[in-house]
Amino acid sequence: MIARAITVSGGLAVRNLLLVRRMPSVFLPALIMPVFILVATAGAFGGIGAIPQLEDSSYLAFTVPLATVMGGGFAGINAGMTLARDIQGGFVDRLVASPAPRVVLILGPLIAACARSLVTTTAVLAAASLGGVFPPGIVGTTVIYVMAALFAAATACWAMGVALQTRSVQSIPLMQIVVFLSVFLSVAYVPRELQTGWLRVAADLNPVTRILEASRATEFEGASWSTLGPGLAASTLLIVGLGLFALAGLRGLGRR
Amino acid sequence: MSNRLAVRQTGALARRSVLDTLRLPQAWFPSIFFPLTLMAIFTGSFTETFSRVPGFPDVPSFLDFAVAGAIVQGILIGGTSAGAAFATDIEGGFFDRLVASPVSRAAILLGRLGGSVALGVGQAVLFIGIAVLFGARVEGGVAGFVLVLVLAAVFAVAVGGLGVYLALRTGSSEAVQGTFPLFFALMFFSSAFFPRETMDGWFRTIADLNPISYLVEGMRDLIIVGVEPRPTLISFGVALALAGAAVGASALAFRRRLGDG
Amino acid sequence: MEAAVKTEGLIRRFRGGVVAVAGVDLEVPEGEVYGFLGPNGAGKSTMVRMLTTLLRPSEGVALVAGHDVVRDAGAVRRSIGVALQDASIDPFMTGRELLRLQATLHGIPRRDGHARAEALLDRVGLVDAADRRVGTYSGGMRRRLDLAMALVHRPVVLFLDEPTTGLDPVSRLTLWDEVRRLNDEGTTVFLTTQYLEEADQLADRVGIIDGGRIVAEGTPKTLKAEVGDPTLTITVASSEDRQAAFDALSGFGPSVPTREGCIAVRLPEGAAAVADVVRALDVASVEPQEIDLSMPTLDDVFVAKTGRRLEGEDAEAPVTVTES
Repeated sequence: MIARAITVSGGLAVRNLLLVRRMPSVFLPALIMPVFILVATAGAFGGIGAIPQLEDSSYLAFTVPLATVMGGGFAGINAGMTLARDIQGGFVDRLVASPAPRVVLILGPLIAACARSLVTTTAVLAAASLGGVFPPGIVGTTVIYVMAALFAAATACWAMGVALQTRSVQSIPLMQIVVFLSVFLSVAYVPRELQTGWLRVAADLNPVTRILEASRATEFEGASWSTLGPGLAASTLLIVGLGLFALAGLRGLGRR
Repeated sequence: MSNRLAVRQTGALARRSVLDTLRLPQAWFPSIFFPLTLMAIFTGSFTETFSRVPGFPDVPSFLDFAVAGAIVQGILIGGTSAGAAFATDIEGGFFDRLVASPVSRAAILLGRLGGSVALGVGQAVLFIGIAVLFGARVEGGVAGFVLVLVLAAVFAVAVGGLGVYLALRTGSSEAVQGTFPLFFALMFFSSAFFPRETMDGWFRTIADLNPISYLVEGMRDLIIVGVEPRPTLISFGVALALAGAAVGASALAFRRRLGDG
Repeated sequence: MEAAVKTEGLIRRFRGGVVAVAGVDLEVPEGEVYGFLGPNGAGKSTMVRMLTTLLRPSEGVALVAGHDVVRDAGAVRRSIGVALQDASIDPFMTGRELLRLQATLHGIPRRDGHARAEALLDRVGLVDAADRRVGTYSGGMRRRLDLAMALVHRPVVLFLDEPTTGLDPVSRLTLWDEVRRLNDEGTTVFLTTQYLEEADQLADRVGIIDGGRIVAEGTPKTLKAEVGDPTLTITVASSEDRQAAFDALSGFGPSVPTREGCIAVRLPEGAAAVADVVRALDVASVEPQEIDLSMPTLDDVFVAKTGRRLEGEDAEAPVTVTES
């Protein structure tokens, strides 16, 4: 049973990845967007790096985690988009009617999303290198990749959960808005200490803040458990919670 | 065709454009939600820091600085909706009905643009109102406020015209919607969100060449400085040039489509 | 009296060498219902688009209500009402709003426009739905609103492009009644259709179009009569009756092969002769189980002129004329 689940999941994961190659117009934006975010944000707000509190550090380096995490977010959203399309188009019925365990419907795309985040993270790191900011050593770089992949898993669970509940492509904007808000209502543009008012409160409460901070720490002070710990805890919390949400939607499939 | 009738027709079609937009949340929600949300996030992020950034103009609060960018962004998003709606008219046949009726050709075009203007100005009023509610001040006073609205109106014509041009050329609302990300990107490569003076390198060059920079700066100065002739005239010039080009292009595309049916 | 619609040598070419309309001459007198019948792609919609100033002819002349569609387009638009294939409505406005808008666009003063809108809503039976958004209307309701919008300014000529395609039978009949009523009131109606029955039922004259050309024109009756006589088919119970029936019917017309247990003859006088047939059978003591009189259809006319069927299993896509 488990062996079959693994093979079918693998098969679905491969299919998701193949779709990227065959429908570039749909998926290409999701690959280019993270690099765009890096360039546009660092370019527009680069002056921030010059303030005394940040001791003239590189704002480009500061923005890298934003781009890599958003890249994971896009990959997760795509998993949800594909699932919504498949449900609406009837492909999912075929899978449900097959002997494969249902959980593969989620596992497959989830694996694909994590795999895709590896690509986007690489693209962002490459672009940052062009701008003079290089990957921060083996440990630090690994942390950056892992955080992005974990976020991809979490957003994939969210987006697929939405797809399973609504079973319609009309819910795609909802998937997108929630993911964008979760990233931008955290520490997207400045460190937490410099935020004011409601935004500071939101960032304090937002798990994604820890994910970004864990990634960002590698660029500045270096990776340490004080940031890595909360980052991993937050990711786990999100993945477990949203994973349950997605599984609940899975159970309802075919029953309505 | 009497001019009075043409005006009446334009008004009726403008009214229809506005009603259609307001009745479809997907049409107006993005143009309100995104700019305001970003404005709030930027304010929360940069209030503490902006005064320390070298090259940043002297403003009482970041909110004052950000409103203009939000207005221009909102109009840009709204313009794509207008174009998509026009394309839907073409797809659905309502456009044909208008063409086959004794409606002045100009009214068909200007009606849609009039709707864009009404929505753009309404949006500007809303955004400034919200900003003022949160403590911002319009240094240019009533005159400045009015000038901002006029600038918004002209820009709305430009963006609406571009949307209509795309609709006439592609006849597909999906294609028009597809250009939305492009414009979103354009806004970042300008001084819409942060001053050009703080940028450097090739990014600064792009921002210097981007007409949106001058548009936003003109509007922004009316709010944070007051009514100054130079920046105001520059941005009006840019806006009028864009509007003229857009309207001209759509008029040509209109004529072509009528000839080909 | 001037013709309501008149074309001479009307041609329309599209990019790629496709000739959708390959030279059409027609004349529709005022007050007529003219039906343009033909398969998909025959050029019907292209013709209508040219006549309603939506498309410029490549060659030839078209006059609608006495005005040239190219040179005097404005005058044409003031005289015509148009209801095209996809009901060209706006899903976010209500029926009432759309009618009032149309009235404004035609320059009808506000109060008159509102009155017109109410009258038309009543006429097409949409008063109850008038304040609902058109997006919520059924297909039949949308067509009716479309028709109402076409009538706002009391047009001289009404153009209907496939008015009942996709409608359920009841809606179709309702629309037919409305067309007849409009015609009785004096409106010239130019309609295109792919349905034989529609052309048969509604049109005073029918123009059969195929491959961009008119292949036959005339009243439904004369067109059918050109093709052949009606056929009378009798079903009888026993073989003795068969012979008797055969003899009785032989005087009415030439016999025609038919299925077993039946006798069939051509009946030139058609329905008028049926009474005599029944009497003749009665004299011969034959009690028919079934009597069937089948008329040639417009489909038969189409087959005779083009070699293809318009409807049914043998219908094929037409050949579009291409310039070489």
